[in-house]
Amino acid sequence: MTDPKNTSNRTNDSDQNIDFSMVLASTVHDMKNSLGMLLNSLDELRTEHGSTFDGSPRFNTLQYEAERMHNDLVQLLGIYRLGEKRLSAHIEEHYLPDFLNEHMARHAPLLQGLGIEALIEAGDITGFYDADLLTGVLNNTINNALRYSRSKIRLTAELRDGYLVLGVEDDGEGYPESMQHSGTLSFKSLDFNTGSTSLGLFFASSVAQLHREGERCGSIRLHNGGQLGGGVFEIWLP
Amino acid sequence: MSESSYRGDAFHKLTYLVIDDFENFRLSMRQVLRACGADQIELVRNAEQAIKYCTYNHVDVVLCDYNLGEGKNGQHVLEELRHKNLLRRSSLFLMVTAETSKQMVMGAREHQPDGYLTKPINRALLEQRLITLIDQRKALLPINREIDRENYPEAISLCLQALPRNPRHKTWLLKTLGDLYFRLGDLSHAAKVFDDVLQQRELSWARLGRSQVLLANRSHDQAVANLKQLIDTHPDYMEAYDLLADGLRQQGKLSEAQRVLEQATVQSPNALLRQKQLAEVAEANQDIDTAADAWRRTVSLGTYSIHDSADHYLALGQSLSELSEDQDSAQSVEHATEALEILASMEKRFADQPTVGLRSRIVQCRVLFGQGQHREAEALQNSLKAEFDSNPLIDPDISLDYAKTLFRIGSDGDAKDLLGRLAEQHSDEAELLKRIEALMDEPVGFRQKLKARNLTRDGIKAFEAGDLAAAAAAFTEALAVVPNHTSVNLNLVQVLLKIYEADPTSREPLEECQARLDRLQGLPQQHRQHRRYIALSQKLKGLTA
Repeated sequence: MTDPKNTSNRTNDSDQNIDFSMVLASTVHDMKNSLGMLLNSLDELRTEHGSTFDGSPRFNTLQYEAERMHNDLVQLLGIYRLGEKRLSAHIEEHYLPDFLNEHMARHAPLLQGLGIEALIEAGDITGFYDADLLTGVLNNTINNALRYSRSKIRLTAELRDGYLVLGVEDDGEGYPESMQHSGTLSFKSLDFNTGSTSLGLFFASSVAQLHREGERCGSIRLHNGGQLGGGVFEIWLP
Repeated sequence: MSESSYRGDAFHKLTYLVIDDFENFRLSMRQVLRACGADQIELVRNAEQAIKYCTYNHVDVVLCDYNLGEGKNGQHVLEELRHKNLLRRSSLFLMVTAETSKQMVMGAREHQPDGYLTKPINRALLEQRLITLIDQRKALLPINREIDRENYPEAISLCLQALPRNPRHKTWLLKTLGDLYFRLGDLSHAAKVFDDVLQQRELSWARLGRSQVLLANRSHDQAVANLKQLIDTHPDYMEAYDLLADGLRQQGKLSEAQRVLEQATVQSPNALLRQKQLAEVAEANQDIDTAADAWRRTVSLGTYSIHDSADHYLALGQSLSELSEDQDSAQSVEHATEALEILASMEKRFADQPTVGLRSRIVQCRVLFGQGQHREAEALQNSLKAEFDSNPLIDPDISLDYAKTLFRIGSDGDAKDLLGRLAEQHSDEAELLKRIEALMDEPVGFRQKLKARNLTRDGIKAFEAGDLAAAAAAFTEALAVVPNHTSVNLNLVQVLLKIYEADPTSREPLEECQARLDRLQGLPQQHRQHRRYIALSQKLKGLTA
């Protein structure tokens, strides 16, 4: 089911100048597909064994970490294409309740395993955005919220000040002071020396910026509070 | 959200087909579908079984893995089902893929699945996704039914009724509405649909639709400008490249069209029709190396595709034959060998098509001659001649290619006779006459063609700059390569007459003019240059009288 052609090394024998980012991208692509297979098997295992695995911290960790790696790789590929200037936003009008429900559904097995309740609050509204890009951002953010929340996460969509605001809230400790901010992240602001590089936030911020309407441009905001009292991630789209 | 009893009911009534080469995946998909309330589920392993099943059974929802191992992939299945009308528009085709990037999967624009499902797929996600799509299918069924019946006016009025009531499917309705007006040829209404959308927001699909309308209205410049800007902001929007190349082609800017298609095929190399477009444009530009490469890819992409055709093999054979005639090339022998191989595999693959053997031998004959195998070429030519003599009504395309072979093997007289007869038989077919004239003008290999064309261009530039001597020299040099080229001969006559008018002391230019016009004697009346030929002849007569 994975395409053997994708694993082929595209560097030329006679060419000693190895294009490392290309090698990396093609390897990442391959790893991502492998993880996809792994996640599929985990889903099936959970289905087959029913409630035995629910509440098993080791199984949940397995699934959570695999999901996390998968998301990281998706982002890595996105950032590679961003650098190659081959990533652009294909904006269409989408119906928010459908979109958010689908997102929750993607995370249903892990939510069930961790015993976390998910709430969706979206009015009967449509919004303009690139669904594939936003999927990358939301997957990562929801996965992150699952890690820090105690018992609940909340997915919201509303129109505010002429922007479509998609929010992910949890009831955990919230973001540390140093991470809270609003606006855009530059590549330079990433700190590769600490454990957390905020690569996910950089990707989210880049995706937000690809969404433009006239003079207005998308952005992300991180703060604490919200209805659940934990961390709040928001992506504002014009 | 819908209620669960309604959900089960909606799933229950439909028929499903799961196509995947992995048994585990097929079984788990069936389990998931059953859990959702589905009952009529068929599982198949490969494309052949899928197509056979759809030939005899109605399927509402197809779940097809993109990668099916050796042989046809999911895109091939989709193309074949749609092409053979085995799948109604009201049915759903979902492509299951391991790639997040659609680029890998994307084929030609006319065949898009109703949705992509990216692995890993869990049960909740599939259920949610199917519910959304089935709801959509249900809501849009009356419209799709009319489109299936090709009752477009009714489909349009249903779209218009649904728009204010149905915000959930607004994008689909607007896209479909624009497309339906366009299909009906109602360009002003189509334009209005796209303009209204664009007024609210710059959306790429609407910009593309608007450009398509502009092209159909023959507003080429505006369409091209629009599309260039669209590609600038969306460098990964393949449909925009295709349409831009179309527009540039219609403007006559063939080398620019070629560049655009080259860019697009680098980004998305798996679309057969795009490779074919590139091959044709490169051929028109006499860029035979690029044309051969693109034909090679077209042939190879055709292996499992519904778009596969003997014409692609033949075109590749013809390009390679051109390349093999290039005596300066070190690869002449390689190209000849490859040409003969491709023609042989064409004869095998399309053995049931009656003219394939004939068309193959016509090209083989000139390839062999070019490689110095004159005896083999002669034997082939004898059999070809017999065939053409006994059947005067052979397809004009085939005759034209035969004339080309006759020129290449040095039988210019036979070639001209054949083309003359062909022009008489088809005197009212402008497009064919144009191709006959082109072959008469330039019965030479592509490098000589390019050389003559460049010299002609230089001559015209010199003439426009007022440098008559340089113009005459350039046209004379061009005619050394293509001595019978009608318009180049007339160009030279025109320049020489001007030279004579400027300095009537020498009558030498007039003699040269006479010699040039003599060459064109017998130019048929329907020839595009005929009036110019008559005018210049009379002018010369006036000066020599």
